[in-house]
Amino acid sequence: MSWISVEKAKKLEERFGYPKVSQDKSGVVSVEVPKDKFIEFLKFLKEDKEYDFRMFLDLTIIDHGEKEDPRFQGVVILFSPTYQHRIIVKTWALDETLPTLTNLWKGAKWAEREAWDMFGIKFEGHENLVRMLLWETYPYHPLRKDFPLEGIKDTYLPSLNETLRGDSLEGLFNYDRMHTAIPTMEDLEITQKKRMPVKTSQIVLNWGPLHPGTHGTIWFLFDLDGEYVKQCDIIIGQLHRGVEKLGENVNWQQFIPYTDRMDYIAAINENHAYVLAAEKLLGIEIPEKAKWIRTMMAELSRINSHLLWLGTYALDLGALTMFLYTFREREKIMDIIEGISGARFTINYFRIGGVFADLPYGALDAIEHLIKDLPERINDYETLLTRNRIWLSRNKDVCIITEEDVYEYGLTGAVARGSGVPYDVRKIDKYDAYGEVEFDIPVGETGDSYDRYLVRMEEMRQSIRIIEQCVAKLRRMSKNDPYFFQTPDEKKLKVTIDGRGMKLPAGEVYASSDNPRGELGFYIYNKKDGLKAHRMRIRSGAFYNLQVFTKAIIGRPIADAITLLSTIDPVVGETDR
Amino acid sequence: MGIKKVGAKPQTLVEKIFFLDFIKGLKTTIKHLWKKVITVDFPYEVVTPPPRFRGVHGLRTVDGTENPEFDSWVKRLKIKPPEPGETRCIACKFCQAACPVPELFDIQSEKLDVPEGHPHYGLKVMTVFNMDLSKCTFCGLCTQACPTDCIIMTDIYDLSSYTRRSWVLDKDMLTQIANDFVARRGKEKFDEKSQWREDQKLWPEYDRTREKLWDFNMPKLGLNYHDQTA
Repeated sequence: MSWISVEKAKKLEERFGYPKVSQDKSGVVSVEVPKDKFIEFLKFLKEDKEYDFRMFLDLTIIDHGEKEDPRFQGVVILFSPTYQHRIIVKTWALDETLPTLTNLWKGAKWAEREAWDMFGIKFEGHENLVRMLLWETYPYHPLRKDFPLEGIKDTYLPSLNETLRGDSLEGLFNYDRMHTAIPTMEDLEITQKKRMPVKTSQIVLNWGPLHPGTHGTIWFLFDLDGEYVKQCDIIIGQLHRGVEKLGENVNWQQFIPYTDRMDYIAAINENHAYVLAAEKLLGIEIPEKAKWIRTMMAELSRINSHLLWLGTYALDLGALTMFLYTFREREKIMDIIEGISGARFTINYFRIGGVFADLPYGALDAIEHLIKDLPERINDYETLLTRNRIWLSRNKDVCIITEEDVYEYGLTGAVARGSGVPYDVRKIDKYDAYGEVEFDIPVGETGDSYDRYLVRMEEMRQSIRIIEQCVAKLRRMSKNDPYFFQTPDEKKLKVTIDGRGMKLPAGEVYASSDNPRGELGFYIYNKKDGLKAHRMRIRSGAFYNLQVFTKAIIGRPIADAITLLSTIDPVVGETDR
Repeated sequence: MGIKKVGAKPQTLVEKIFFLDFIKGLKTTIKHLWKKVITVDFPYEVVTPPPRFRGVHGLRTVDGTENPEFDSWVKRLKIKPPEPGETRCIACKFCQAACPVPELFDIQSEKLDVPEGHPHYGLKVMTVFNMDLSKCTFCGLCTQACPTDCIIMTDIYDLSSYTRRSWVLDKDMLTQIANDFVARRGKEKFDEKSQWREDQKLWPEYDRTREKLWDFNMPKLGLNYHDQTA
């Protein structure tokens, strides 16, 4: 649906001769090109009017295993805004190097740093190839297949062990005294120095890693000229837990609780993206009721996330009342989610094949009650903020992100829409029930902070519209309609609610959902039918959106940093994974 | 494709001179000033968690509400048929297999030490069931994997303790938690075959504290689907 047609891709084969086009069962169209023609080919795709793959979505590496030669494969996912479809371009990383893409898309900078960090692939021509998530002196590349899941235990760290009157305890109470490496203060200093090799001023201002304004553990470095930022870099990774590695080492269903813990503000949407990818790889169609329930829950979660964003954003800019108001509404949404799924925060309600339980008695009534009330509350928030002169002067024309930046950096979600790009995966992919509900995509005009604010406010109203339609549709359904995938052919395709023994077929898939924080995509590469993924790549929207911070802040006073960060709205759990 | 343009309108002169933006904002604040307090005074007041709440685990005992396959599972795994009041656990380790952090479980079973010819000769019994809840993600996958509906999740959420050791619950503790929970709220959650009730409520309606969270304007819970019965 949202992939380039094979015929169009075959034309590339005819034109150049060297590309090899293949289509997977899941619909993914990928083109393999030799390494020396890689840049030339991508440049053509970007600049040719007939293809126009201007937008950079993701870059990653697949490790095929120690014994394979060549071992590493680079994967680039691109999107064409004109034709509304995607393409995957692959190449083999011979000698563990690849040419850099930063001359074509600036957004590849962080992705390449991450690939170097995780796989040890060198990118020739990259301006400052330093580690992305781990610290500079760390000797290993953890996403390689020969790196064990539990890490290499080479540091003596007995303090985790609990002792009772001097004796260490046995069994489940005790921990290994040897641990994986942890950074020391010297390591962090080296890391910090390497991030900005050319400083222009005497002072580099550190913001974070533990500052209430950063909403998590992000470490900003500002090179300042007076009050104005000349250069900026961000050190992330303090919350890096290796979710991708975990995804390659746990079963399909067991991975869902881990996705909850990435973007913990909108856990349902994270689950959603993952189950969509897995279902596409399985090639199953889930029941109608499950689709509508999922759509409804995802939108509830979006409102929940936006309310938190609004409260903390206003709080950062000095409007303390807002925080209390939004948390009151948020509490109601959390209450409903808790009643339906059993947890407030780490929800784990969706399953590959549907949802794990039907809606409990009274769920639709509570949701209806909530959305009847909510538009009025959003109007209240808007009267407090939208026309307020302090709010206007803190937000208007602050840190403009242009349309060009959106394509260059692969910005998605409200950040892209605020800059006037109507990029919305819900409209492009029409996953679940989004093809059948009516809603508008709000887009901004100038791309300043104020537009991003307005876009998110409008998004909440649109979400309410979607939920209304979902509730109306679910009301007409029967209690006996299935909420989980059913097949008469149980032996051939085993999908269970708890997920034991579920096998996913070989192949590759990229599926994404539109999160409150941008497009969250899961790229799964499965070598053979298996209980676990061979490669699980998570394209985090917040990660790419955060990258534009380093550009948009340049030339702005330091006070705008907090506005910009709030309107980009990253969640560290998702940027660091 | 529905695209809706949102854009900034500059402040009008009237708004600027008469501070209309501030007056409107203050009006909203004053409107909210007279509302009742909505926060719950924990721990003196508590909200009762909903029936589906995923809290601390428990191991259910045999009480005549087992699911129809219970006896066949006991036979298949060569477990000593449990008397009423004994645990339902058949040491199949399905919960461990479904768990994202399998090392949090420590499940062992032993053969009964009885002479040949005894009716329980060659049968096993579950002896150790430890759960380290400091590693638990409370995802609920174990409860869905359990074939005998033995492991359940209760409504207990306060897990704080002074030592890590007290996060490890053994089988007696887990059984006690489940017995207590089933006696308190079993009717709300389970039907007579230990399955989740079809008319499980979104929240317990007897809980008056929850009204506070909802601004003293609670929704009235009703049917979801037209053919549902209360």
